[in-house]
Amino acid sequence: MPVITARTTGPDETRALGAALADLVRPGDVVVLAGDLGAGKTTFTQGLGAALGVAERITSPTFTIAQEHRGRVRLHHLDVYRLENLREATDVGLDEMLDDEAVVVIEWGDRILPVLPTDLLEMRFRFVDGGDDDRAVDVRPVGFHWIARSAALERALARWCEAA
Amino acid sequence: MLLLAIESSTGQVGCAVGGHEGVLASAHTSRGRRHAECLAPQIEFVCRQAQVELTDLGAVAVDVGPGLFTGLRVGIATAKALAQALAIPVIAIPSLDLLAFPARFSHRLIAAVIDARRGEIFYAFYRHVPGGVQRVSEPTLGSPDDLGSELLAAREEVLLVGDGALRYQGALPESSRIEVVEQGLANPSARTLALLAHARALREEWVQPWDVNPMYLRKPDAAIGWATRDGAAG
Ligand SMILES: Nc1ncnc2c1ncn2[C@@H]1O[C@H](COP(=O)(O)OP(=O)(O)O)[C@@H](O)[C@H]1O
Ligand SMILES: [Mg+2]
Repeated sequence: MPVITARTTGPDETRALGAALADLVRPGDVVVLAGDLGAGKTTFTQGLGAALGVAERITSPTFTIAQEHRGRVRLHHLDVYRLENLREATDVGLDEMLDDEAVVVIEWGDRILPVLPTDLLEMRFRFVDGGDDDRAVDVRPVGFHWIARSAALERALARWCEAA
Repeated sequence: MLLLAIESSTGQVGCAVGGHEGVLASAHTSRGRRHAECLAPQIEFVCRQAQVELTDLGAVAVDVGPGLFTGLRVGIATAKALAQALAIPVIAIPSLDLLAFPARFSHRLIAAVIDARRGEIFYAFYRHVPGGVQRVSEPTLGSPDDLGSELLAAREEVLLVGDGALRYQGALPESSRIEVVEQGLANPSARTLALLAHARALREEWVQPWDVNPMYLRKPDAAIGWATRDGAAG
Protein backbone atom coordinates (compact mmCIF):
# COMPACT_ATOMS: atom_id res chain seq x y z
CA MET A 1 0.00 0.00 0.00
CA PRO A 2 1.55 3.34 -1.04
CA VAL A 3 2.11 5.95 1.59
CA ILE A 4 -0.04 9.07 1.48
CA THR A 5 2.00 12.16 2.31
CA ALA A 6 0.17 15.11 3.82
CA ARG A 7 1.74 18.51 4.49
CA THR A 8 0.79 21.06 7.10
CA THR A 9 2.11 24.57 7.67
CA GLY A 10 1.19 25.06 11.32
CA PRO A 11 -0.23 23.39 14.44
CA ASP A 12 -3.82 24.34 13.65
CA GLU A 13 -3.55 22.62 10.31
CA THR A 14 -2.18 19.50 11.97
CA ARG A 15 -5.14 19.63 14.38
CA ALA A 16 -7.52 19.94 11.42
CA LEU A 17 -5.84 16.90 9.87
CA GLY A 18 -6.53 15.02 13.09
CA ALA A 19 -10.13 16.16 13.01
CA ALA A 20 -10.48 14.93 9.42
CA LEU A 21 -9.55 11.43 10.60
CA ALA A 22 -12.24 11.43 13.29
CA ASP A 23 -14.91 10.44 10.75
CA LEU A 24 -12.82 7.47 9.69
CA VAL A 25 -11.73 5.88 12.93
CA ARG A 26 -13.89 3.31 14.64
CA PRO A 27 -13.93 1.82 18.11
CA GLY A 28 -11.10 -0.70 18.35
CA ASP A 29 -8.84 1.12 15.88
CA VAL A 30 -5.16 1.68 16.57
CA VAL A 31 -3.34 4.77 15.28
CA VAL A 32 0.44 4.71 15.69
CA LEU A 33 2.15 8.11 15.69
CA ALA A 34 5.85 8.09 14.82
CA GLY A 35 8.34 10.92 14.54
CA ASP A 36 10.77 12.95 16.62
CA LEU A 37 9.99 15.08 19.65
CA GLY A 38 8.15 18.21 18.61
CA ALA A 39 7.13 16.79 15.25
CA GLY A 40 3.43 17.17 16.03
CA LYS A 41 2.15 13.84 17.42
CA THR A 42 0.38 15.34 20.42
CA THR A 43 -0.89 18.30 18.38
CA PHE A 44 -2.44 15.84 15.91
CA THR A 45 -4.08 13.91 18.77
CA GLN A 46 -5.61 17.14 20.10
CA GLY A 47 -7.38 17.66 16.78
CA LEU A 48 -8.52 14.05 16.54
CA GLY A 49 -9.73 14.00 20.14
CA ALA A 50 -11.63 17.27 19.91
CA ALA A 51 -13.42 16.02 16.80
CA LEU A 52 -14.28 12.79 18.64
CA GLY A 53 -16.02 14.96 21.22
CA VAL A 54 -13.37 15.04 23.94
CA ALA A 55 -14.04 18.20 25.94
CA GLU A 56 -10.90 18.49 28.06
CA ARG A 57 -7.55 19.63 26.73
CA ILE A 58 -5.38 16.75 25.55
CA THR A 59 -1.76 16.97 26.67
CA SER A 60 1.17 14.67 26.20
CA PRO A 61 0.83 11.62 28.47
CA THR A 62 4.61 11.18 28.54
CA PHE A 63 4.75 10.79 32.31
CA THR A 64 1.47 9.03 32.92
CA ILE A 65 2.05 6.84 29.79
CA ALA A 66 -1.70 6.45 29.21
CA GLN A 67 -4.65 8.79 29.47
CA GLU A 68 -8.28 7.93 28.82
CA HIS A 69 -10.60 10.54 27.32
CA ARG A 70 -14.34 10.30 26.86
CA GLY A 71 -15.93 11.65 23.71
CA ARG A 72 -18.58 10.15 21.46
CA VAL A 73 -16.18 7.22 21.43
CA ARG A 74 -13.59 6.72 24.12
CA LEU A 75 -9.98 7.55 23.30
CA HIS A 76 -6.95 5.94 24.90
CA HIS A 77 -3.96 8.21 24.31
CA LEU A 78 -0.57 6.65 25.08
CA ASP A 79 3.00 7.90 24.83
CA VAL A 80 5.46 5.02 25.22
CA TYR A 81 8.59 7.18 25.02
CA ARG A 82 9.51 6.48 28.66
CA LEU A 83 9.18 2.71 28.44
CA GLU A 84 12.25 0.49 28.32
CA ASN A 85 10.64 -2.90 27.75
CA LEU A 86 7.65 -4.28 25.90
CA ARG A 87 6.38 -5.79 29.15
CA GLU A 88 5.92 -2.32 30.59
CA ALA A 89 3.39 -1.66 27.85
CA THR A 90 1.44 -4.67 29.08
CA ASP A 91 1.75 -3.42 32.64
CA VAL A 92 0.06 -0.12 31.85
CA GLY A 93 -2.90 -2.17 30.58
CA LEU A 94 -2.22 -2.03 26.84
CA ASP A 95 -4.11 -5.25 26.06
CA GLU A 96 -7.16 -3.99 27.91
CA MET A 97 -7.10 -0.71 26.03
CA LEU A 98 -6.74 -2.50 22.70
CA ASP A 99 -9.77 -4.68 23.48
CA ASP A 100 -12.03 -1.96 24.82
CA GLU A 101 -14.15 -0.62 21.94
CA ALA A 102 -12.09 2.56 22.12
CA VAL A 103 -9.84 4.37 19.66
CA VAL A 104 -6.21 3.87 20.72
CA VAL A 105 -3.62 6.49 19.70
CA ILE A 106 -0.01 5.64 20.59
CA GLU A 107 2.81 8.18 20.33
CA TRP A 108 6.07 6.36 19.48
CA GLY A 109 3.91 3.29 18.84
CA ASP A 110 6.22 2.22 16.00
CA ARG A 111 8.61 1.08 18.76
CA ILE A 112 6.22 -1.43 20.26
CA LEU A 113 4.85 -3.07 17.09
CA PRO A 114 5.43 -6.63 18.45
CA VAL A 115 2.71 -6.06 21.07
CA LEU A 116 0.27 -4.24 18.76
CA PRO A 117 -2.40 -5.70 16.46
CA THR A 118 -1.49 -6.34 12.82
CA ASP A 119 -4.15 -3.82 11.72
CA LEU A 120 -3.20 -0.23 12.35
CA LEU A 121 -2.78 3.20 10.82
CA GLU A 122 0.79 4.47 10.94
CA MET A 123 1.42 8.21 10.74
CA ARG A 124 5.01 9.38 10.60
CA PHE A 125 5.52 13.08 11.35
CA ARG A 126 8.58 14.73 9.80
CA PHE A 127 10.20 18.14 9.90
CA VAL A 128 10.72 19.41 6.37
CA ASP A 129 12.93 22.05 4.79
CA GLY A 130 11.13 25.33 4.73
CA GLY A 131 9.50 27.15 7.63
CA ASP A 132 9.74 26.06 11.29
CA ASP A 133 6.04 25.31 11.14
CA ASP A 134 6.12 23.05 8.11
CA ARG A 135 5.59 19.34 8.64
CA ALA A 136 5.08 16.31 6.43
CA VAL A 137 3.08 13.30 7.57
CA ASP A 138 3.50 9.92 5.90
CA VAL A 139 0.27 8.00 6.40
CA ARG A 140 0.36 4.25 5.91
CA PRO A 141 -2.60 1.90 6.38
CA VAL A 142 -1.41 -1.51 7.62
CA GLY A 143 -3.48 -4.67 7.61
CA PHE A 144 -6.76 -5.59 5.95
CA HIS A 145 -9.06 -3.37 7.95
CA TRP A 146 -7.08 -0.22 7.22
CA ILE A 147 -6.16 -1.03 3.62
CA ALA A 148 -9.88 -1.52 2.96
CA ARG A 149 -10.32 2.11 4.00
CA SER A 150 -7.51 3.50 1.80
CA ALA A 151 -9.80 5.32 -0.61
CA ALA A 152 -11.73 6.99 2.20
CA LEU A 153 -8.42 7.85 3.83
CA GLU A 154 -7.15 9.51 0.66
CA ARG A 155 -10.36 11.52 0.36
CA ALA A 156 -10.18 12.62 4.00
CA LEU A 157 -6.58 13.78 3.63
CA ALA A 158 -6.84 15.22 0.09
CA ARG A 159 -6.81 18.83 1.37
CA TRP A 160 -3.29 18.36 2.70
CA CYS A 161 -1.85 16.36 -0.18
CA GLU A 162 -0.17 18.06 -3.11
CA ALA A 163 -1.60 17.35 -6.51
CA ALA A 164 0.70 14.91 -8.27
CA MET B 1 -12.05 -9.43 63.54
CA LEU B 2 -13.49 -6.98 61.03
CA LEU B 3 -11.94 -6.70 57.63
CA LEU B 4 -12.39 -4.76 54.43
CA ALA B 5 -12.18 -6.77 51.17
CA ILE B 6 -11.26 -5.07 47.89
CA GLU B 7 -11.73 -6.81 44.55
CA SER B 8 -10.90 -5.25 41.17
CA SER B 9 -9.29 -7.86 38.92
CA THR B 10 -11.90 -7.88 36.14
CA GLY B 11 -14.29 -5.37 34.59
CA GLN B 12 -16.01 -5.31 37.96
CA VAL B 13 -14.86 -3.42 41.04
CA GLY B 14 -16.23 -4.16 44.48
CA CYS B 15 -15.64 -4.15 48.21
CA ALA B 16 -17.15 -5.72 51.29
CA VAL B 17 -16.90 -5.51 55.05
CA GLY B 18 -17.01 -8.79 56.92
CA GLY B 19 -16.21 -10.47 60.17
CA HIS B 20 -17.08 -13.55 62.20
CA GLU B 21 -20.78 -12.96 61.44
CA GLY B 22 -20.05 -13.18 57.73
CA VAL B 23 -20.40 -10.36 55.21
CA LEU B 24 -21.90 -7.21 56.76
CA ALA B 25 -22.15 -5.05 53.65
CA SER B 26 -20.90 -5.08 50.09
CA ALA B 27 -21.01 -3.09 46.85
CA HIS B 28 -20.08 -4.02 43.30
CA THR B 29 -20.01 -2.00 40.08
CA SER B 30 -19.50 -3.58 36.71
CA ARG B 31 -20.47 -0.78 34.38
CA GLY B 32 -17.95 1.32 32.51
CA ARG B 33 -14.74 0.06 34.11
CA ARG B 34 -14.33 3.11 36.30
CA HIS B 35 -12.44 1.33 39.06
CA ALA B 36 -10.61 4.42 40.25
CA GLU B 37 -13.74 6.56 40.46
CA CYS B 38 -15.91 3.86 42.04
CA LEU B 39 -13.76 2.31 44.73
CA ALA B 40 -13.41 5.10 47.30
CA PRO B 41 -17.16 5.91 47.38
CA GLN B 42 -17.92 2.17 47.60
CA ILE B 43 -15.64 1.79 50.63
CA GLU B 44 -17.30 4.73 52.32
CA PHE B 45 -20.75 3.30 51.52
CA VAL B 46 -20.13 -0.25 52.79
CA CYS B 47 -18.48 0.98 55.98
CA ARG B 48 -21.43 3.27 56.66
CA GLN B 49 -23.96 0.52 55.90
CA ALA B 50 -22.09 -1.93 58.13
CA GLN B 51 -21.66 0.75 60.82
CA VAL B 52 -17.96 0.13 60.84
CA GLU B 53 -15.27 2.80 61.19
CA LEU B 54 -12.05 2.31 59.25
CA THR B 55 -10.24 2.32 62.59
CA ASP B 56 -12.28 -0.77 63.62
CA LEU B 57 -10.68 -2.85 60.85
CA GLY B 58 -8.17 -5.55 61.75
CA ALA B 59 -7.03 -6.37 58.21
CA VAL B 60 -7.51 -5.48 54.56
CA ALA B 61 -8.07 -8.27 52.04
CA VAL B 62 -7.28 -7.79 48.39
CA ASP B 63 -7.61 -9.74 45.15
CA VAL B 64 -4.09 -9.82 43.68
CA GLY B 65 -5.01 -11.22 40.27
CA PRO B 66 -4.29 -12.45 37.70
CA GLY B 67 -6.56 -10.05 35.88
CA LEU B 68 -6.75 -6.69 34.20
CA PHE B 69 -3.77 -4.48 34.91
CA THR B 70 -5.68 -1.23 35.17
CA GLY B 71 -8.15 -2.63 37.69
CA LEU B 72 -5.60 -4.50 39.80
CA ARG B 73 -3.45 -1.42 40.11
CA VAL B 74 -6.30 0.58 41.64
CA GLY B 75 -7.40 -2.15 44.06
CA ILE B 76 -3.96 -3.14 45.25
CA ALA B 77 -2.76 0.45 45.65
CA THR B 78 -5.88 1.29 47.69
CA ALA B 79 -5.52 -1.81 49.88
CA LYS B 80 -1.86 -1.12 50.58
CA ALA B 81 -2.44 2.54 51.34
CA LEU B 82 -5.28 1.77 53.76
CA ALA B 83 -3.38 -1.02 55.49
CA GLN B 84 -0.32 1.15 55.87
CA ALA B 85 -2.29 4.12 57.20
CA LEU B 86 -4.20 1.95 59.68
CA ALA B 87 -1.12 -0.15 60.56
CA ILE B 88 -2.93 -3.42 59.85
CA PRO B 89 -1.88 -6.43 57.74
CA VAL B 90 -3.06 -7.47 54.27
CA ILE B 91 -4.54 -10.79 53.18
CA ALA B 92 -3.77 -11.41 49.52
CA ILE B 93 -5.90 -13.91 47.59
CA PRO B 94 -5.69 -14.80 43.88
CA SER B 95 -8.65 -13.87 41.65
CA LEU B 96 -9.10 -17.39 40.28
CA ASP B 97 -9.50 -18.79 43.81
CA LEU B 98 -12.29 -16.27 44.42
CA LEU B 99 -13.96 -17.15 41.14
CA ALA B 100 -13.92 -20.90 41.83
CA PHE B 101 -15.17 -20.74 45.44
CA PRO B 102 -18.90 -20.16 44.74
CA ALA B 103 -18.84 -23.34 42.57
CA ARG B 104 -17.69 -25.39 45.60
CA PHE B 105 -20.95 -27.37 45.83
CA SER B 106 -20.19 -29.11 42.56
CA HIS B 107 -18.24 -32.34 42.56
CA ARG B 108 -17.20 -31.80 38.96
CA LEU B 109 -13.75 -30.50 38.06
CA ILE B 110 -14.02 -26.68 38.18
CA ALA B 111 -12.24 -24.35 35.74
CA ALA B 112 -12.03 -20.69 36.75
CA VAL B 113 -11.41 -18.56 33.64
CA ILE B 114 -10.77 -14.81 33.49
CA ASP B 115 -10.76 -12.81 30.23
CA ALA B 116 -7.21 -11.48 29.76
CA ARG B 117 -8.29 -9.55 26.62
CA ARG B 118 -7.18 -9.87 23.00
CA GLY B 119 -7.86 -13.57 22.71
CA GLU B 120 -6.17 -14.72 25.91
CA ILE B 121 -7.42 -16.05 29.22
CA PHE B 122 -6.11 -16.71 32.72
CA TYR B 123 -7.27 -20.06 34.06
CA ALA B 124 -6.77 -22.70 36.73
CA PHE B 125 -8.53 -25.92 37.78
CA TYR B 126 -10.09 -26.63 41.16
CA ARG B 127 -11.69 -29.51 43.04
CA HIS B 128 -14.25 -29.60 45.78
CA VAL B 129 -12.82 -30.19 49.26
CA PRO B 130 -14.69 -30.00 52.57
CA GLY B 131 -15.66 -26.36 53.09
CA GLY B 132 -14.35 -25.03 49.80
CA VAL B 133 -12.22 -25.73 46.76
CA GLN B 134 -8.59 -26.57 46.26
CA ARG B 135 -6.54 -25.46 43.29
CA VAL B 136 -5.15 -28.45 41.38
CA SER B 137 -3.24 -26.66 38.61
CA GLU B 138 -0.98 -23.64 38.28
CA PRO B 139 -2.68 -20.43 37.11
CA THR B 140 -1.99 -20.19 33.36
CA LEU B 141 -2.08 -17.53 30.65
CA GLY B 142 -3.18 -19.11 27.38
CA SER B 143 -5.65 -19.16 24.51
CA PRO B 144 -9.16 -20.62 24.57
CA ASP B 145 -7.69 -23.41 22.40
CA ASP B 146 -5.13 -24.23 25.08
CA LEU B 147 -7.92 -24.50 27.63
CA GLY B 148 -10.00 -26.55 25.18
CA SER B 149 -7.20 -29.11 24.85
CA GLU B 150 -6.95 -29.39 28.62
CA LEU B 151 -10.71 -29.84 28.92
CA LEU B 152 -10.65 -32.70 26.43
CA ALA B 153 -7.60 -34.26 28.08
CA ALA B 154 -9.33 -34.15 31.47
CA ARG B 155 -11.80 -36.85 30.34
CA GLU B 156 -14.28 -35.92 33.02
CA GLU B 157 -17.12 -33.48 33.64
CA VAL B 158 -15.96 -29.89 33.95
CA LEU B 159 -17.85 -26.84 35.19
CA LEU B 160 -16.46 -23.52 33.91
CA VAL B 161 -16.96 -20.18 35.62
CA GLY B 162 -15.82 -16.65 34.81
CA ASP B 163 -16.03 -13.94 32.16
CA GLY B 164 -13.33 -15.68 30.12
CA ALA B 165 -15.42 -18.86 29.91
CA LEU B 166 -18.49 -16.85 28.91
CA ARG B 167 -16.69 -14.83 26.24
CA TYR B 168 -15.03 -17.83 24.62
CA GLN B 169 -17.77 -20.38 25.18
CA GLY B 170 -18.11 -20.77 21.39
CA ALA B 171 -14.41 -21.55 21.00
CA LEU B 172 -14.44 -24.39 23.56
CA PRO B 173 -14.94 -28.01 22.51
CA GLU B 174 -18.54 -29.13 22.13
CA SER B 175 -19.09 -31.84 24.67
CA SER B 176 -21.83 -32.83 27.07
CA ARG B 177 -19.12 -33.07 29.74
CA ILE B 178 -18.32 -29.36 29.50
CA GLU B 179 -20.68 -26.80 31.02
CA VAL B 180 -20.22 -23.04 31.34
CA VAL B 181 -22.09 -21.32 34.19
CA GLU B 182 -24.19 -18.71 32.39
CA GLN B 183 -25.37 -16.56 35.26
CA GLY B 184 -24.01 -15.09 38.43
CA LEU B 185 -20.43 -16.36 38.49
CA ALA B 186 -18.80 -14.19 35.84
CA ASN B 187 -16.61 -12.15 38.20
CA PRO B 188 -14.79 -12.70 41.47
CA SER B 189 -16.82 -11.20 44.29
CA ALA B 190 -15.71 -9.06 47.21
CA ARG B 191 -18.16 -11.03 49.37
CA THR B 192 -16.25 -14.25 48.66
CA LEU B 193 -13.01 -12.41 49.36
CA ALA B 194 -14.30 -11.25 52.74
CA LEU B 195 -15.32 -14.82 53.65
CA LEU B 196 -12.08 -16.49 52.55
CA ALA B 197 -9.95 -13.75 54.06
CA HIS B 198 -11.67 -14.00 57.43
CA ALA B 199 -10.77 -17.68 57.67
CA ARG B 200 -7.16 -16.79 56.86
CA ALA B 201 -7.11 -13.91 59.30
CA LEU B 202 -8.00 -16.34 62.09
CA ARG B 203 -4.93 -18.36 61.12
CA GLU B 204 -2.95 -15.11 60.87
CA GLU B 205 -2.07 -15.88 57.25
CA TRP B 206 -1.35 -12.32 56.31
CA VAL B 207 1.48 -10.20 54.95
CA GLN B 208 2.70 -6.67 55.43
CA PRO B 209 1.37 -4.08 52.98
CA TRP B 210 4.78 -3.52 51.38
CA ASP B 211 5.03 -7.23 50.53
CA VAL B 212 1.81 -7.26 48.47
CA ASN B 213 2.28 -7.47 44.72
CA PRO B 214 -0.07 -8.21 41.85
CA MET B 215 0.14 -11.74 40.47
CA TYR B 216 1.17 -11.04 36.90
CA LEU B 217 1.18 -13.87 34.37
CA ARG B 218 2.96 -12.42 31.41
CA LYS B 219 4.45 -13.15 28.06
CA PRO B 220 8.22 -13.11 27.51
CA ASP B 221 9.72 -9.64 27.55
CA ALA B 222 11.98 -7.77 25.14
CA ALA B 223 13.75 -4.44 25.24
CA ILE B 224 12.37 -1.63 23.11
CA GLY B 225 14.84 -0.41 20.46
CA TRP B 226 15.49 3.25 21.29
CA ALA B 227 18.43 4.13 19.05
CA THR B 228 16.72 7.43 18.21
CA ARG B 229 15.79 8.40 21.74
CA ASP B 230 19.08 7.49 23.39
CA GLY B 231 21.16 8.79 20.50
CA ALA B 232 19.41 12.15 20.52
CA ALA B 233 20.96 14.95 22.51
CA GLY B 234 18.92 15.79 25.60
N1 LIG C 1 2.71 22.06 11.26
C1 LIG C 1 2.78 21.77 12.58
N2 LIG C 1 2.18 20.69 13.08
C2 LIG C 1 2.25 20.38 14.38
N3 LIG C 1 2.91 21.10 15.29
C3 LIG C 1 3.55 22.21 14.86
C4 LIG C 1 3.50 22.59 13.50
N4 LIG C 1 4.22 23.73 13.37
C5 LIG C 1 4.67 24.02 14.59
N5 LIG C 1 4.29 23.13 15.50
C6 LIG C 1 4.65 23.16 16.91
O1 LIG C 1 5.47 22.01 17.17
C7 LIG C 1 5.19 21.46 18.42
C8 LIG C 1 4.70 20.06 18.26
O2 LIG C 1 4.65 19.50 19.54
P1 LIG C 1 3.93 18.13 19.88
O3 LIG C 1 2.67 18.02 19.12
O4 LIG C 1 3.87 18.04 21.34
O5 LIG C 1 5.01 17.12 19.28
P2 LIG C 1 5.25 15.56 19.66
O6 LIG C 1 4.06 15.08 20.37
O7 LIG C 1 5.46 14.91 18.32
O8 LIG C 1 6.50 15.53 20.48
C9 LIG C 1 4.15 22.36 19.06
O9 LIG C 1 4.77 23.31 19.86
C10 LIG C 1 3.47 22.99 17.86
O10 LIG C 1 2.92 24.27 18.18
MG1 LIG D 1 3.91 14.12 22.32
